[in-house]
Amino acid sequence: MDVLLNVAQGFGVALQPINLLYCFLGVFIGTLVGVLPGIGPISAMSLLLPVTLSGTPESGIIMMAGIYYGSMYGGSTTSILVNIPGEAASVVTCIDGHQMAKQGRAGPALGISALGSFIAGTFSLLALMLIAPSLASVAIAFGPAEYFSLMVLGLVVLTFLTQGSMAKALLMACIGIVLGLVGLDSITAMPRLTFGRLELIDGIGLVPVVMGLFGVAEVLINTEQVIKRDIINTKITQLLPNRADWKASAGPVGRGTLLGFFLGILPGGGAVVSSFASYALEKRLSKTPERFGKGAIEGVAGPEAANNAAAGGAFIPLMTLGIPPNVVMALLLGAFVIHGLQPGPLLITQNPGLFWGIVASMYIGNVMLLVLNLPLIGMWVQLLKLPYNILFPLIILFTITGVYCSSNNVFDVYVMIAFGVIGYFMRKLGYEPAPLVLAFVLGPLLENNLRKSLILSQGDLLTFVQRPISAACLALAVVLLVGPLLPSLRKKRELVALDEGA
Amino acid sequence: MNGQTKAPSKLNNSELWGGLIGLALGVFVIWSGLKLKLGTINDPGSGYVLFYTGILMCVFAATIIAAAITEGGPTFASRWQDARWTKPLLVILCLIAFSFALEPLGFLLSAIPLMVLLLRAIDPVRWSLTIPLAVLTPLGVWWVLKRLLLIQLPSGIFEIG
Repeated sequence: MDVLLNVAQGFGVALQPINLLYCFLGVFIGTLVGVLPGIGPISAMSLLLPVTLSGTPESGIIMMAGIYYGSMYGGSTTSILVNIPGEAASVVTCIDGHQMAKQGRAGPALGISALGSFIAGTFSLLALMLIAPSLASVAIAFGPAEYFSLMVLGLVVLTFLTQGSMAKALLMACIGIVLGLVGLDSITAMPRLTFGRLELIDGIGLVPVVMGLFGVAEVLINTEQVIKRDIINTKITQLLPNRADWKASAGPVGRGTLLGFFLGILPGGGAVVSSFASYALEKRLSKTPERFGKGAIEGVAGPEAANNAAAGGAFIPLMTLGIPPNVVMALLLGAFVIHGLQPGPLLITQNPGLFWGIVASMYIGNVMLLVLNLPLIGMWVQLLKLPYNILFPLIILFTITGVYCSSNNVFDVYVMIAFGVIGYFMRKLGYEPAPLVLAFVLGPLLENNLRKSLILSQGDLLTFVQRPISAACLALAVVLLVGPLLPSLRKKRELVALDEGA
Repeated sequence: MNGQTKAPSKLNNSELWGGLIGLALGVFVIWSGLKLKLGTINDPGSGYVLFYTGILMCVFAATIIAAAITEGGPTFASRWQDARWTKPLLVILCLIAFSFALEPLGFLLSAIPLMVLLLRAIDPVRWSLTIPLAVLTPLGVWWVLKRLLLIQLPSGIFEIG
């Protein structure tokens, strides 16, 4: 009964005209950045972070969340029609989605992708409504030791799942922690690594770092190659899948939804991991695995459901523990913080309107996306024809203005350009930016909780293993760190390791 | 790594250099941590976390270096094989020039030339499209920010914008 009352309160907030407008803007921009290759939800969210300051916290966060799950929908359009993933979570949709389009079945591919995403999105929201309040009530008992260990686990999981060498990913995470500690020490107020620059006293801004590493670096990488697009030009008809398509897709959508949701909750997991995991699962379960890669609708339905369910699941650790499980959620944490709010176990009880309003808006947003994605498919196809040599100067201009507006300071533009160049070389040398950004956000929290737990335990390091949740998190982190040394686990890691960028 | 030339223990092994840069950064972080004071385990100081993070950085960098020496790694040339490396270099130069021009010249006078350069220098867009795009986009951004969102962009010494 309480849940129903809370949901009603949430819809009361979400259905306010201004919040509906922000929700629409969020899902529209999300679909747009999902459709356009070369700009992803991370870039768009960091670009629009300053804009959220102009409204209420509810409106801003509703819009930011809309961009995230909107991009999951939009990304599949580009994957199916152009064979280029609009964003990282849609990489796997290219495999069978584009083959279906080539066989003249672009409509059912787009249709099952949108409908599967809607079903998964709805399920993940229902689960979020049921799980988040109970988890939050448990999380109230968490102390600094538990928070520290959970953050360590989150970082280790992300480095484990990152493409390429784990040593490189761990090095990136350490650099992220160091960058996060630049500025005044929150306990002693001593300036650290500021090199005498006043601009660094408050630390390095999240927006210029993310825009540099993801926005500018992505542009630099894209300009060095000629982007070839194989756009399906035939008119797209019959978007609704037929009975046989539904029969083939029902299982993959159901399994993808459950798998995606639980992988989304895990720290370090997320939409990208879950879409690959779902594809692998469907191929393994299929009686005709040879159809995969040649236009199997299950290869579209499962991963698309999984990435949308994961997008919903990822809100659970952020909302209940205040710990972002991935870079996108780290940006959302930034949106909470700039409004003076701290997501965590007390958010649901102290600010129920905000929490339930966001959840309700996500449901409304999912309905809006269904409307945006199916009838407006022609418009998105036209947009895909925009050449990259026109698109990238616009991305650069919006990036620069977005970064400047986040602080009204040219210094942040310098920081963004510097991180853009660093990000370009990092990618060329095989260093992934995602662990760096997550560690950059978690660094100050991690340090704070470590120092607090050491002070509280009077320097007793056993405090981290005497508390069961903390001990379990650290044990899992150790397994993941040591695991890649074993050949069998290394092979498994290589199979699931992914590029979390874009 | 397919198609990339391996350089087992040569100076052009890009993995080796990546590891060495990481090691240098790690040493710098350790030194910064020590300078900021470590404190005690009962009462960790400002440099405590930095110091231990620096040590971890050195360990991970050493692992990368060891792998680069024993297993080899792609050369710098192979990393940029088949890539139009001059294009990102041009974009970087344009961005650096823009960042230096932004405050003295103002947003509009620096953004319009930046757009012209980016539209023409990488994969040239025809002039009839370059000029309107380069002029109207910064003007549109400036108008939205200044008039609608009341955000002041730099107007420069000529006070344009």
